[in-house]
Amino acid sequence: MTQLAPGPLDLVCVGLSHHTSPLEVRDAVILSDDEVARALDALRGRAGAAEAMILSTCNRTEIYARGTRLPDPATFVASLLAEIKGVELHLQAGKHLYTLREEASIRHLFRVACGLESMVLGEPQILGQVKGASELASRLGSAGPVTERLLDTVLRSAKRARSETGIGRGPVSIAYAGVSLATKVLGDLGAKRVLLIGAGEMSSLAATHLKDAGVTQFMVANRGRERGEAFAEQHGARYVSLEALPVVLPGADVVVSATHAPTAVITEAMVRAAMKIRRNRPLFCLDLAVPRDIDPHVARLENVFLHDLDALGQIVAQSLAQRRAEIPRVEAILEEELARFLRWHRSLAVKPTVTAFRSHFEKVAAEELERHRGRFRPEDVAAAESLAHGIIQKLLHHPTTRLRDAEADGLDGAARLETVRDLFGIENGTDDGDEGAGSDADRNTR
Amino acid sequence: MRFLVPLLITTLPVLYALSVAAYARIYNTEPADTGDQTSHRVGPRVLRVAVLLHLLYLIARGWTEGHLPLASVYDFLSATALALAAVYLYVEMRQRIRTTGIFVLPLVLLIQLIASAYGSTVPLTKPPINPFWFELHTLAAVLGYGAFFVSAIYGILFLFLYREIKGNRISFFFTRMPPLESLARMNVSAASAGLVLLALAILMGIGWGKAAGLHPFSDPKTWLTIAAWCLLGFAVVAYHRLGWRGPRAVYASLAGLTTLLLSRVVTDLFVRSFHTFR
Repeated sequence: MTQLAPGPLDLVCVGLSHHTSPLEVRDAVILSDDEVARALDALRGRAGAAEAMILSTCNRTEIYARGTRLPDPATFVASLLAEIKGVELHLQAGKHLYTLREEASIRHLFRVACGLESMVLGEPQILGQVKGASELASRLGSAGPVTERLLDTVLRSAKRARSETGIGRGPVSIAYAGVSLATKVLGDLGAKRVLLIGAGEMSSLAATHLKDAGVTQFMVANRGRERGEAFAEQHGARYVSLEALPVVLPGADVVVSATHAPTAVITEAMVRAAMKIRRNRPLFCLDLAVPRDIDPHVARLENVFLHDLDALGQIVAQSLAQRRAEIPRVEAILEEELARFLRWHRSLAVKPTVTAFRSHFEKVAAEELERHRGRFRPEDVAAAESLAHGIIQKLLHHPTTRLRDAEADGLDGAARLETVRDLFGIENGTDDGDEGAGSDADRNTR
Repeated sequence: MRFLVPLLITTLPVLYALSVAAYARIYNTEPADTGDQTSHRVGPRVLRVAVLLHLLYLIARGWTEGHLPLASVYDFLSATALALAAVYLYVEMRQRIRTTGIFVLPLVLLIQLIASAYGSTVPLTKPPINPFWFELHTLAAVLGYGAFFVSAIYGILFLFLYREIKGNRISFFFTRMPPLESLARMNVSAASAGLVLLALAILMGIGWGKAAGLHPFSDPKTWLTIAAWCLLGFAVVAYHRLGWRGPRAVYASLAGLTTLLLSRVVTDLFVRSFHTFR
């Protein structure tokens, strides 16, 4: 009897990530597009992979290959990475490198794409990176029908996870939490003016995030003029002295303060006066300093929104807790999509028999039409062919659907296929699950 | 046209209920996806159909009865539901924000349910005197009420979001709401539109009353409405001119709407007025 148990996926994933390797190791193995192309060539040529894809980001480098002939994929990948990067990496299987096979490798890719394996739970960049890796593999011709289908499914489930659950909800970094809150208060930040107090690292980070959010108008106030002016030049800001704060404060919509001043730089009286001049338009203040730069009593003023490091930390903690609570819902989506993919893969096993089954009927119809051709007028031949084809389609629709469903659902498909082969005299031994994988018809049904 | 009336009055609550369900789905899914998914387009489409059919219902009623169907409190409720839905749709199209629909449409559904359940059983007791001015007056008043209701809902949403932000809470509600500034703008814009409509309603009402031989200034409803209009007008002017932004502006507009609603209740229950629907 033909072996019709679901054909093996023959998929292996070898990789390293922030879970297994320190930053210097991860940095050392990040692959550029050219290096990915070389690695994919080696995987197909030397390792005999039928299909392959490489995901390389700052937090992980993972190689997915299908149909390799390698007894020890991790050793091969370790030497391949060392060869491509031109340095001795000393990667150790089991320590830095992990190897996942078959269903476990697919489940891992699903988890990666959804951000469940990310350093910051639910971060969205990984989805774009998986998509990029998938497109690169397709462009380089190393993605085959199974990996393409797999990646389509993975990307769809990651999008579902983001839209149907709260895995990407809420800010999860202090700076981003500040910018999110500012956007929630003021809306589009493009036309807003930002006053940065202090010219240190925190101010620089805040300026970067605010620029990303569309801010173009910055003022920077700093005790040291030289450093302040350098900062202003670097960030396209206007420098003002600390003494000018009461004058410039009414013109700012967002204030970010991060100095080392021992006492408050912005007092309640200053903000009260500024709000009068601003006609009570909302003022958003971020105090990123310890000790605090902005008098906490400012928060009591109407339309003044003051958030310090503790408040932002509290928001980040809330967001992370909410994201963690969403993990089971994401996993449910992943399992559902994984099951759908595996069902599709199992259905490939039945394809050669179904094709042969249909060919058998088409052949009989063609022979009969040929035998009776003389009885038709020339103008009726096309109609007779169409009639025969239509009858075959109708007769075979139900049996072929049943065969596909039985196999995909793991029912007694093997026995059914054997019966069909026996009844119609179809040749044995072609149902290995791979022949149909790359056919055009199959691609069209994805 | 006559056969359409019972059919439409039954269909309207169903359509509004479907809109509520669709907008609940929008509210429950990620804001980033709003507008992209097919399911997110269902709500606005169903609501548009509901508004159009509601309009058709009023036309059918007007056609068969020979005047605008605003002769009973239930007619008034139905027209208010339509005004609310129409004003909401207008704001949604202007602001391109769909996550607030769930806070407006249940009210529309509730009002229309009451109107559909009891409206058809109330006979017309007081035929309008001068239909043209009366109809314009009533139409402007209903639209004005709709605008003030929408303004109040956005005002309340503003207050909730304001408290969340001040209290450093990132709740589910926080993630669904548009920026605070947008809610404030929606609140004031809808109130401004309501002011213009209510001013027209007052002026036309006085004109119609005088033409009909009534004494509009002897009716307490006229004075209560003028008082409400002044309060709401002050809230809008204070927002633009006096820097009354944030909660203070919202409280002022809510006070105006409360006065307007009280004027309705007082007129219907406690005083004799030619505005009474009894």
